[in-house]
Amino acid sequence: MDAPAVSLSACSKRFGDRLALRKATLTVAPGETIVLLGPNGAGKSTLLRLVAGLLRPTAGSAQIGNAEACSAPRSLRAGLAYAGHRAQLYRGLTARENLGLHARLHRLTDLDIDAALDGVGLADRADERIDGFSRGMLQRLALARAIAHAPGLLLLDEPASGLDAAGRLLLDGVLMDGLGQRTQLIASHDHELPARLGVRTVHLAGGRLA
Amino acid sequence: MIRPALAIARVKLVLELRRREVLFAMLLFIAATIVIVHFALSGAGAGGERAAAGMLWAAVVFTAVLGLLRTFAAESEDGALDALLLAPIDRAAIWFGAALAQLGFLIVVEVIAVPVWWLLFFQHGGPRILPLVGALVLADVGIALVGTLAAALALGARTRDVLLPVLVLPLLIPLVLAGVTATYGAFGEESDVLRPLGFLALYDLVFAALAWGTSEHLLGD
Repeated sequence: MDAPAVSLSACSKRFGDRLALRKATLTVAPGETIVLLGPNGAGKSTLLRLVAGLLRPTAGSAQIGNAEACSAPRSLRAGLAYAGHRAQLYRGLTARENLGLHARLHRLTDLDIDAALDGVGLADRADERIDGFSRGMLQRLALARAIAHAPGLLLLDEPASGLDAAGRLLLDGVLMDGLGQRTQLIASHDHELPARLGVRTVHLAGGRLA
Repeated sequence: MIRPALAIARVKLVLELRRREVLFAMLLFIAATIVIVHFALSGAGAGGERAAAGMLWAAVVFTAVLGLLRTFAAESEDGALDALLLAPIDRAAIWFGAALAQLGFLIVVEVIAVPVWWLLFFQHGGPRILPLVGALVLADVGIALVGTLAAALALGARTRDVLLPVLVLPLLIPLVLAGVTATYGAFGEESDVLRPLGFLALYDLVFAALAWGTSEHLLGD
């Protein structure tokens, strides 16, 4: 039997006096898509950052495949993508340069940057520095970067924030295309998203999984 | 590790060419320091080779700290550090790329500032150029390696602007002593500079190994 793509086991994360995530246990099968729902401060972002390996659990474990996420080998990191609240891009570079850097770091020798930018509606802004981009354009570029290396595990934290109607349609298309093809964990405030995708929902409140 | 490090260093140099946030401040600071100390020393009649050597190294170190305060500024601005941490690269490459960029900034600053220092302090004569350049390059490597390591250590702290100098300046004391000794020695016999230059090379090797070994754990949560 395949190892779960993601597994949290009694995973807690504390920031100072605040317990952001309390003994969360969750298993995500390979190819499964889950939407995390919950109010602000529920622990959705913390959970995603733990799975991405950007945070170390205070207690319990967060694993991707069979490895602890925070010490995952490069081969596992190569198949992971995370887009968070911040765009994770260099503001002084152009859209093309940002994707070019991503391609170099991921050794994507055959990445078609023009096609990637065209896919998110930014082809005509490819050579503009992104410090002039709107929130929605940054979100589109972050999405293009997240899927550029065809990750097997896609973690998205409120990916629709800042997107216009066309951007939301584009995002839905990306998520639909990923159904069954990759594992997707999406934190969202959009309560209709699970129904549109036809996927499982997990609720978080006060750092606890419901 | 080299390829991603070069890619990261290149990005940081491109950003600096476009924004001119670090180099301009460093140049202004070192030039002002050299000029002010020159007039302060000459007014008191307390010039001389050792004083000139000491003030050059003090200016270099404090200017370097000014640049080091911005080491991971571009990565912190919009979470770009997360993207680097998630990339399938050796995390030491992030530190090494940032150190390479710092080294580049220091060399550019010194190419402009050292001739100014020379003109102000040595109208006639001066130290031998080769040992002086050798000492500066070896010290720059050490400052970039150690300073970037300290910047990584201070990254998560709210008081990092205070923490970084507190961390890095004590570590740079041996380097400054060797630099001053080498510079002062460059006025005399060739054998006077070999020992401090050797020490600087050893310092660089030790801290390169230390930083390479610890950067995996320093960067990230």
